[in-house]
Amino acid sequence: MKITNGKDFWAGLMFIAFGLAFMWVAQSYAMGTSVRMGPAYFPTMLGGLLAVLGAAVLFRAFVSKIDNPLTVFPFKLWRIVAGLALGALAYYTQPSRDASMILEIGHTLLSGLAVGLMFAAFGERSLWVVLFSVVVFGYVLKPLGLVAAVVLLVFISAWGGHEFKYKEVTILSVALAIFSVLAFVKGLGLPMNIWPGIWE
Amino acid sequence: MESLFANLALGFGVALSIQNLLYCLLGVLLGTLIGVLPGIGPVATIAMLLPVTFTLNPTSALIMLAGIYYGAQYGGSTTAILVNIPGESSSVVTCLDGYQMARQGRAGPALGIAAIGSFFAGCVATVIIALFAPPLAEVALKFGPAEYFSLMVLGLVAATVLAHGSLIKAIAMVILGLLLGLVGTDVNSGVARFSFGVSELSDGIGFVSVAMGVFGFAEIIANLEQKEKREIFTKKVSNLLPSLQDFKDSWASILRGTALGSFLGILPGGGALLASFAAYTLEKKISWNSAQFGKGAIQGVAAPESANNAGAQTSFIPLLTLGIPSNPVMALMIGAMMIQGIAPGPQVMTERPQLFWGMIASMWVGNLMLVVLNLPMIGMWIKLLMVPYRILYPSILVFCCIGVYSISNSPFDVMQTAAMGVVGYIFVKLECEPAPLILGFILGPLMEENLRRAMLLSRGDALVFFQRPISLTMLLIAFALLAIVLAPAVRKKREEAFVEA
Repeated sequence: MKITNGKDFWAGLMFIAFGLAFMWVAQSYAMGTSVRMGPAYFPTMLGGLLAVLGAAVLFRAFVSKIDNPLTVFPFKLWRIVAGLALGALAYYTQPSRDASMILEIGHTLLSGLAVGLMFAAFGERSLWVVLFSVVVFGYVLKPLGLVAAVVLLVFISAWGGHEFKYKEVTILSVALAIFSVLAFVKGLGLPMNIWPGIWE
Repeated sequence: MESLFANLALGFGVALSIQNLLYCLLGVLLGTLIGVLPGIGPVATIAMLLPVTFTLNPTSALIMLAGIYYGAQYGGSTTAILVNIPGESSSVVTCLDGYQMARQGRAGPALGIAAIGSFFAGCVATVIIALFAPPLAEVALKFGPAEYFSLMVLGLVAATVLAHGSLIKAIAMVILGLLLGLVGTDVNSGVARFSFGVSELSDGIGFVSVAMGVFGFAEIIANLEQKEKREIFTKKVSNLLPSLQDFKDSWASILRGTALGSFLGILPGGGALLASFAAYTLEKKISWNSAQFGKGAIQGVAAPESANNAGAQTSFIPLLTLGIPSNPVMALMIGAMMIQGIAPGPQVMTERPQLFWGMIASMWVGNLMLVVLNLPMIGMWIKLLMVPYRILYPSILVFCCIGVYSISNSPFDVMQTAAMGVVGYIFVKLECEPAPLILGFILGPLMEENLRRAMLLSRGDALVFFQRPISLTMLLIAFALLAIVLAPAVRKKREEAFVEA
């Protein structure tokens, strides 16, 4: 037996994992009967079906005529482990509600880094840089305000592309920050800080 | 017939109000914009705008979102013809002959015939919706839970049959979508399922997050992994009006494309993409000019461009009458209706005639705007095409992030979307088509609810789905579709067809 189609191999495993996971978690809910279905009934059915289909895809990986290498995208285990560790640290060091601004920002950055690291385990640079920029935006918007969040998002995400022109990115980030403030905060009235919280 | 005119009059009254005209214009302009730009599609755009539509009234919101979808069909052809990159997936086949025409210095007539064909198709499709939606909605009002369940099975099966690539993976993706849709509080028992104690998850995984992560973010990342290479024919776009000879050559293709597109749009799983592929294939088979196909035949532009616009519009029929989405864009429209507190289904037509007919009338108005605005504005769209992707994608990200954040004003939705981006990227890499997943996701809770009700009414007898005639018919069609696709001869053809694309 030799795996000929790497993509089918991983896809099959993924479907089996999802199917079994849903079935397993569903066991903690009431099953009910076919007349009165409990919350576990439908997910268990679907989960089983998904696992069976996954097994079929997995089987196909061994007999497929399509040749695909087993490494579909780069995967770095240590980043997941490091991300989980930082995430646990962030979880247990959650600052109290009346904690100082600096502590809050520090904690925000720590959480962002943890999530970013976990994303960084998959794929090439463009994947994790882009998603990291999104994560940073999400965490930074409330404490630092929209302008800073947009500028950070543009700078980090632009770094994930092929070319990074410092001047161009600066202009773009300023333009987008101004536009976002005018369109979303002034125009549509979304409730967002424009500047860092301490200034307002 | 009289009631049709009365209804259309009502619809035009709504659509022609200043506010709705403005939102229609905004929708078609945005649609054209994202249609022209490769790398961002109507799914991501509508997902991006969903949170914003919350502040609008339902009719204006839906008019605008609909405009984005059919507007994108117009814009997509511009990029296909001038750059040989499909601005929209439904204009993939337009590249084949459109780009060749541009190379021969006939970019103008190619753009012109695409716009005219689209406009004609849009007019016909509007009439078709007005004619067929009411009787269908009346039939649908008689549906019980068993019929609805079977209808959803049929819709999902059709969607997988028409998906790219492996059938079995597509079915698995539908089921995964259904399961993800079940996350959150169970309406019957109040149990928070699969939420792992995360309070945000007890309302379910955010629909916008799934759509934007899997389509928007994953698309951006996939685009970044490839180097861009563009060759644009911009100098010789003059003389947009096709000659009389061009019209003579292509009117039949426009008619055939419109007819085929309208039909395929109505089918569950159909829409603009399928329509354009089918129309091109048909035209290549039966046109007298088939030898010229791929070398700049005007028929090869006229037919698919008419078809994709017709299909984009008629795919609203199952949405408006049955409340069943036939493609990811329609799934998002359902999301938009739910945000507004409207339960999609046959009752929309009778309970909210302004919304129903206003939206239909706005489609005709929107098509008129597209023709009148787009031909003169082509120069501007071309300029936009010169904007490099490295400028474009950070801008797209900014709008996506602000949109997602504003759903609940917390970082949670942003995180969730980023996580979905990872999942979407893995799907792309494993060649698992995401469109069936999103359909399953939106239908998951509905399907469970109808299954429960049907089983309760039949006292646990699963045979009920085969005893009721409408339900049985739909299940039989679903089985037949699967059987046909699994038949070795068809399977081979299907795979070839998608490889060609």
